[in-house]
Formats: sequence, structure tokens, C-alpha cells
Amino acid sequence: MHNKSTHRFLRPETVTAVCIIVVAAGFLIPTTELAPLSALLPAAMLVGLILLAIAMMISDQRKASAGEEAKPVVKSPKRVFGAFCLIALYCIAVDLIGFYPSTAISLPLVAYIFGYRDLRGLAIATVIVLVAIYLIFSVSMSQEFPIGLLWAE
Amino acid sequence: MYSDLIQSLPDVLAWANLAALVIGVLAGIIVGAMPGLSATMAISVLVPFTFGLEPLVALGLMAGIYNGAMYGGAIPAVLLRIPGTPAAVATTFDGYPMAQRGEGGFALQVAVVSSAFGGVASAFALMLLAPPLSRVTLLFGPAEVFWVAVFGLCSIIFLLGGNVAKGLISACFGVFVSVVGSDPIFGNDRYTFDRLELLDGIHIVILLVGLYALPPVIDLLESPLKTENSAGDHLGTEPIWRTFPRMLRFWKTWIRSALIGIWIGILPGAGGSMAAFMSYNEARRASKTPETWGHGEPEGVAASETANNADTAAALIPALTLGIPGTAVAAIMLGGLLIHGLQPGPMLFRNNPDIVFGFMWQFLFGAILLVFLGGSLATNSFAKLLKLPRPLLGSVIIVLMLIGVYSIHGRMFDVYLMLGFGAIGYVMDKLKFPLPPVVLGLILGGFAEENLRLALRIGRGDWIVLFQNVTSLVLVALTVAVVVGPMIKKRIVKARKTEGKV
Repeated sequence: MHNKSTHRFLRPETVTAVCIIVVAAGFLIPTTELAPLSALLPAAMLVGLILLAIAMMISDQRKASAGEEAKPVVKSPKRVFGAFCLIALYCIAVDLIGFYPSTAISLPLVAYIFGYRDLRGLAIATVIVLVAIYLIFSVSMSQEFPIGLLWAE
Repeated sequence: MYSDLIQSLPDVLAWANLAALVIGVLAGIIVGAMPGLSATMAISVLVPFTFGLEPLVALGLMAGIYNGAMYGGAIPAVLLRIPGTPAAVATTFDGYPMAQRGEGGFALQVAVVSSAFGGVASAFALMLLAPPLSRVTLLFGPAEVFWVAVFGLCSIIFLLGGNVAKGLISACFGVFVSVVGSDPIFGNDRYTFDRLELLDGIHIVILLVGLYALPPVIDLLESPLKTENSAGDHLGTEPIWRTFPRMLRFWKTWIRSALIGIWIGILPGAGGSMAAFMSYNEARRASKTPETWGHGEPEGVAASETANNADTAAALIPALTLGIPGTAVAAIMLGGLLIHGLQPGPMLFRNNPDIVFGFMWQFLFGAILLVFLGGSLATNSFAKLLKLPRPLLGSVIIVLMLIGVYSIHGRMFDVYLMLGFGAIGYVMDKLKFPLPPVVLGLILGGFAEENLRLALRIGRGDWIVLFQNVTSLVLVALTVAVVVGPMIKKRIVKARKTEGKV
């Protein structure tokens, strides 16, 4: 999602339309192996997605030809990408080292990286959240969380 | 027809249900007060935690959050000129100037009383209109139910406004997600790619949390809000019983705005912000002093807040009776009903009258609770919420999202799936693809397919079975009207404009 695309084919809507076409076409392959009635709705939706994405791409390219600037998609792409990566890393960490250790690390880390720099506040908030989760979910609701693939093996 | 409504009242008055409502309203006000967080997000994060709860406790929480958040949005709208929820935009017009001249407390009290009035009117509309409508829908067979689903999808796409192609893409995506898993008739796998986790299909909560909770969290982290210039420290709040007589002059605005809010709520695709804008404009038009509007006229706050709360329960009229939600929150609530085994639509009123009517009472009580929980003392406390560090809040929500999604089946696969939907939801949100059609597509897709194939089996494969009775034809006509209507309107407006220029 580049904000200031110089090339008309790198406009956010065009790129999105191409992605939709590729993914929908990819899903059409397993659709051919389904029974006709079973394939009816998914095939209709996939073909619909392809046609609509083409319409969206044509409309966006017309705007590009008319000299209309593509609106910026995100204000600060680095922060958005960073936030996504940190959330994904947190999920992977939960899977690998377990829920409590990864939450104890990532909760203050994410808040710190994104601008909350009060270390005392971070420590207090982390302890409160972890204790609250433990009491509410683990103790009273008997909810089991991932213990971590590394320790399990 | 209304005896079930009366019979369900004692259940609603149970302590657990009332406590859920109180917690819901408080949580809703807190969420609504924080710009960037909305009722939609709060309910989507909450839904997985309600699995183990009694249905009425879970629905009470949701009803409370919905009511609370609609008022909560007024707090930053008045104090910061930043609407806490999209529906509170019109509240900023007069609320903020009032806060600037030291009347922020009164503005928030007008907001809370008006919100409560709108909520009560909306709950009564739901109680009065839903039961007779449900009786009609009970007569529907598979063909009619299929057309209701098609009508629901079309109405939310075409009445939502904006880019129709994008609305259709959203709906196609939602319907496609609904077909993942075992085929409902033949039982063969579709798009499971040999993953056992996908055999039962994609759980609606995974999609809801990904689409509605992740993008706001990213936004929270992307641009932390500065709240240093908040007028929250100088509210000038008086006890609500002292200020209430000053509000009585708004009675005409309250009634007019409540009616507008209810009407907009019933219309699929329209939402609280449209209701608030329409109501604000109408109230201004009817005012004897329109020149004071926009400069701190409390009646403006009353008009906007009454309408945005009047749309809450009303949006559930088509949602509960036909399975077609009027707003995004109503779509999420349908998801909440589904996880408790309650299929929204014609059968809901016959199979679970105690729960569906109890839910209606909860909307009424939630609206009344607003006055007590959002009153003078609480208003001051809620204003302090604006000072909460938003990056920390974002981190806590991420943890809650993970817990909620993981707890559905106790597996990390769902969490990764949620992340995927979150990424898709973020891109869709930024490129202005409407999100409600995705949810509705997922809810109605499977429902429509099952009924279509059932109808075809009844008709021995003959497609004419879909057009064989009057109800089906009426529904087809309504669907065509919903699709063609906005196009004709657009052309007429365009033609008038060209005529005007000539």
C-alpha cells in the first residue's frame, strides 16, 4: 500500500484489485473439483469477485488518466507495518514460549515502542493485567492458555 | 402476541442479568468515550468471552455496551471536539462550544438525558414492531428465506451508499468465507486444504474480531491522540436533578429526533451518524433561533444524541425478525446470537421467546440506566478517561483479542486466521470497502445456500420453484427496487442538476 505511488499501476485500488483477481482465480482451481451444486455458490462468488475487481481497476485507471491523485492509504506506513509485525510476533511468541511469558514481554514492549514511556506505569499496568487475566481466566474460568511449543517438547 | 414479552420480564430482573447490564453500560460508556474505539469493536472483542455465560447475561452485556457507547461518544465530542464514535459527529457542533464557555458538564448532562430518551423510545419501537413482523416471517418457506437473505445482502450494499462495486466485493468475500468447510447437503470438504481446523467452517467470531477489532488497534498505535487541551477539568457540573428542568424545553426535539432515529435504525445500511445528522438539521430548521446553532446551543446536542441512541434497538427490528441487521453493531449482535445457538430470523421468536423478548427489555433498562450511570458524578469521572495512555490501551486490547479468539476452540490456528482477517480488514477499512456486508455475507451466505438447495430439492431441481408464490415475488420485487432505486434516484438528481445549470 504505497502512499505516493508514482506509477499509475501502483495506485492502492489497482494493486488491491489485482490481488483480488489473483487470489480469486487461485481459489477457482479447487472449485472445479467440487460437485456442480456444491460449487455453485463459491464459483459464483469467485467469478463475481474477479469481475468486480476488474470493474474497480478500470474505474481507478480512468481516474488516473484524468489526473486524479490517489488518496494516501495510511498516515505513517512504518508505524502501521511495525504494529502488524509486533502483533504477529506476539502471536508467534505465544505459540512458542507460552501465553504468560510472551504477554509479560510484549504488553509493555508494544506500549513503550508506540509512545508510552513511563516505566513505572508500564510495570504496574503489566502486573495488573497479568494478575487480572490469571484470576479471571485461569482460576475462575479454568481457561488453559498455550504453554509454549518449546517447553512442551 | 405480547404475552411472551410480559412473561420474559422476571428472567430479565434476575441479579446476574441486571449486573451484566450495569457492567455493559459502564463498559460501553468507557469504550465510547475513547476516540478510535467503538461499540462495534467492543462487542466484537466481548463476544468470545460470553461463550460460557447464560444467553441473557451475554445479551445484557451487549445491549448495555451498545447503549453506553452511543452516549460515551459524546464525552470526547464535547470536551475535545473529537467524536468518540462516528454517530457523535453532530454532537461536536454545539457540544464543544458549550464546553469552551464552561458549560461542558451541562452539555454532557443534556447528552445523557437525551440518549436515555432516545434509547427508551427505540426499545419501545422494538417491543411493539418486532413481534407482529415475526409472525409474518414465520410463514416463510425455503424459497422465501433464500430471497430474504438476498434482499438483506442487496439492501445493505445498495442502501449503504458509497461505491457499489466495493460493497459487492465485500459481500462476495463474506459469502465465500461462509462456504469454507463441509458442504451442508453432501458433506464434502470445500477449501479446507486438508486442515481439520477448517472442517467446521470459519467461526464468525474470528472474522468479527479480525475485521472490527484489529484495525482500530492499529489506528490507536498509528497515531496516538493528544488530549492535553481537554476541557475535562472545567466541566462546571451541577447535580442532574437541578439541571433537568432546563432541559424540559427540548421535549419537541426529543420526540422528533427519536422518530427520525427509529426510522433510520430500521432502514438497513443507514446508521447512527445519518440519524444524528438528519435529526440535527431538522431540529435546526424547526428552531426559532437557528442562528445560535453551532455556537453552543444545547438543543443541538439533544437532537443529535437522541437520534443516535434511538437507532440502537430499532436497528434490531429487521435483524431479529428477518436476520438483516440495520447497522454494523446489529450485524455483530447477530454473531453474538449465533454463538449462543440462536439463529436470527423467523424462527427465533417461536423457538426462544424468553431470550428474544428478554433482550428487548434489556435494551429498555439499559437506556434507563444511562441516566443513573452517566449522571453528574460519573460524567466527571468519565471525562478523566480521556487521559488514559492509548498505546497501553492498544496493547491490552491485543491481549484480550488473542484470549477471546484462542478460547473459542483452544487453538492458535484461529488466532493466526484472525490476524489474516485483521490485515484484510485493515486494507478494506482504509480503501473504504464497507465492512458490514462481509459480516452479513458470512451470516446469510450459508443460510441462503442451505435454503436455496433445499428449495431446489423440493422443486426437483427446477429453478422456477424460487418464483412460484406471491411472497417470493414480492421479495424479488423489493430486491430489484433496492438495487434499482438508488440508481434511478442518482439519475434524477443528476438530471435536475443539469437542468438547473441550463
